Amino acid sequence: MARPQDQLPIDAPAPEGEAPPAGARWRTALRNPRIIIGGGIVLLLVVVAILAPVISPFDPVKLAVGKRLLAPELAYPFGTDEFGRDILSRVMHGAHLTLYVGVVAVGIGLLAGVAVGTIAGYAGGWVQSILMRSIDFLYTFPDILIALGLVAFIGPSLTNAMIAIGISVIPYYARVTYGVVLVERHKPYFEAGQVIGAGRWRLIVAHLLPNIVPPLIVVATLGFSAAVLSAAALSFLGLGAQPPDPEWGSMLASGRNYITRSPWILVFPGLAIVVTVLAFNILGDGIRDLLDPRLRQEGR
Amino acid sequence: MALVTLLASTVGVSLLIHVVPGDPVMMMMAQNAAATPEAIENARRALGLDLPVWQQTLRYLGNILQGDFGRSIFGAEPVSTLLFDRLPNTLALAFASMLIAVGIGLPLGFYSAYRKGTWVDNVLMVGAVVGVSIPGFWLGLILLLFFSLTLELLPVASGDFRSLPLPAITLGLTYSAIVARMTRSSMIEVFAEDYIRTARAKGLPETIVLRRHALKPSLIAVVTIVAVVFGYLMGGAVVVENVFSWNGLGRLALDAILRRDYPVIQGFILIFATVIVVISIVIDLAYAWLDPRISYR
Repeated sequence: MARPQDQLPIDAPAPEGEAPPAGARWRTALRNPRIIIGGGIVLLLVVVAILAPVISPFDPVKLAVGKRLLAPELAYPFGTDEFGRDILSRVMHGAHLTLYVGVVAVGIGLLAGVAVGTIAGYAGGWVQSILMRSIDFLYTFPDILIALGLVAFIGPSLTNAMIAIGISVIPYYARVTYGVVLVERHKPYFEAGQVIGAGRWRLIVAHLLPNIVPPLIVVATLGFSAAVLSAAALSFLGLGAQPPDPEWGSMLASGRNYITRSPWILVFPGLAIVVTVLAFNILGDGIRDLLDPRLRQEGR
Repeated sequence: MALVTLLASTVGVSLLIHVVPGDPVMMMMAQNAAATPEAIENARRALGLDLPVWQQTLRYLGNILQGDFGRSIFGAEPVSTLLFDRLPNTLALAFASMLIAVGIGLPLGFYSAYRKGTWVDNVLMVGAVVGVSIPGFWLGLILLLFFSLTLELLPVASGDFRSLPLPAITLGLTYSAIVARMTRSSMIEVFAEDYIRTARAKGLPETIVLRRHALKPSLIAVVTIVAVVFGYLMGGAVVVENVFSWNGLGRLALDAILRRDYPVIQGFILIFATVIVVISIVIDLAYAWLDPRISYR
């Protein structure tokens, strides 16, 4: 006869206090300075991106030859570029492009990554080992290189850059999903579900996916900044957005010959990239503190 | 295992040409004024695109094994010559920036972990978050603006080793923030170990705790960080080379991409896959050497 404690599952979760009510959770969130600062800037960016056509003082693309390379002044707070276009207006429209690229790329990475990670974690056997070995190998590649290699073949354009970046970040999401699935599928509640004969889809959708969401929110927020950086780099190299699109990386590329004479061409689009990436990094760190205080490992 | 990975990536790379929308040969020839139907047919045959897919893959694999990466479609130079001419430049840049990134990031990350929770740690980590948010190519342009043009200290693009400092500083600074963050989180784990607490509890002086007990586990962390960051650096180099006209693989690749020189791009990807596999082998060996519990027998 086994002793009672032997029948306890080995990895039984430590007894937890009652889950805090939703309101308390929000209050904790609003007391976290990282979430306030990062989230505030992200919110501001979203507003600017949506309202860019309304609030930007000038047309971002139309040439104005008489107004070339004007230094920042009241009418043009960020100055004008080599074609006489208002840099502030271009930066505002650029916010729209940047957030759009980020959402699509992260979306592709998330969907495909969760699918791959779930299949690998759930299937086991050779499916698992082939999938995860490929993912691990891709993970060791810098994502900018994967994106670059893909764009090389599908051709340079903003849409293709988005797709390529989306594919390049699949390993992030696949690895996180896989890790969670491996842990959860051996927990008692999951095995109980299997025993009472829940279908495979029900097990995946009702039991596995909810556990994947919190870590994925963190990875996706931090991944957003990685996607923005990659998109700016590809556009800077001429492999993403094409002129005259007001994409920040491509603005830096087309203005680079004028930087000694008109440094503001270099300063403002670059600052826009830094602020955006920084905001998502800070927000991601903040959400991580909130959702999983144990997981405070800082990697990439 | 490493061989299997390399074989798999070679097969993958050989298949990449089929994701080109439309006809890859027509895409390549589009920028070539002298493209007669005959030349197009020759190019198709040279690339082996007239064969069934499985034969193309086998042929590519066979050629690679003999060191034949194909020929550039412009100037018909062997791709291997192009690649191996540039590889040393990219490796030199990556090593130089590695020294800078580790030289700055490692001590700062270590100190931050050692003084975890103090204002010094907070300030350093805020700095590191800002650091990882700065795109290398932008930092490069700014350094270029300041040093080469305002102060006229360093040559902008002379193409030899004297033009190495600026791109190396750019890359090194960019990645020092990542090194600092990674070092801090691994060192926090090391400092939380029981044997460190024991060593302190039995009254060992702090320098001995650090030197005798904390050093070796941190070396393992450092090896990991160096290896991971070296991979990132090679990726970052591809972008930054193009800011400074540094004559490495990154510039070669960008030129090839813009001219749709597919054999060169394939070779470029394979070189990178090889470098990454070599790095992972080196790490495994270093682990086994540093930590006797790990063995690959």
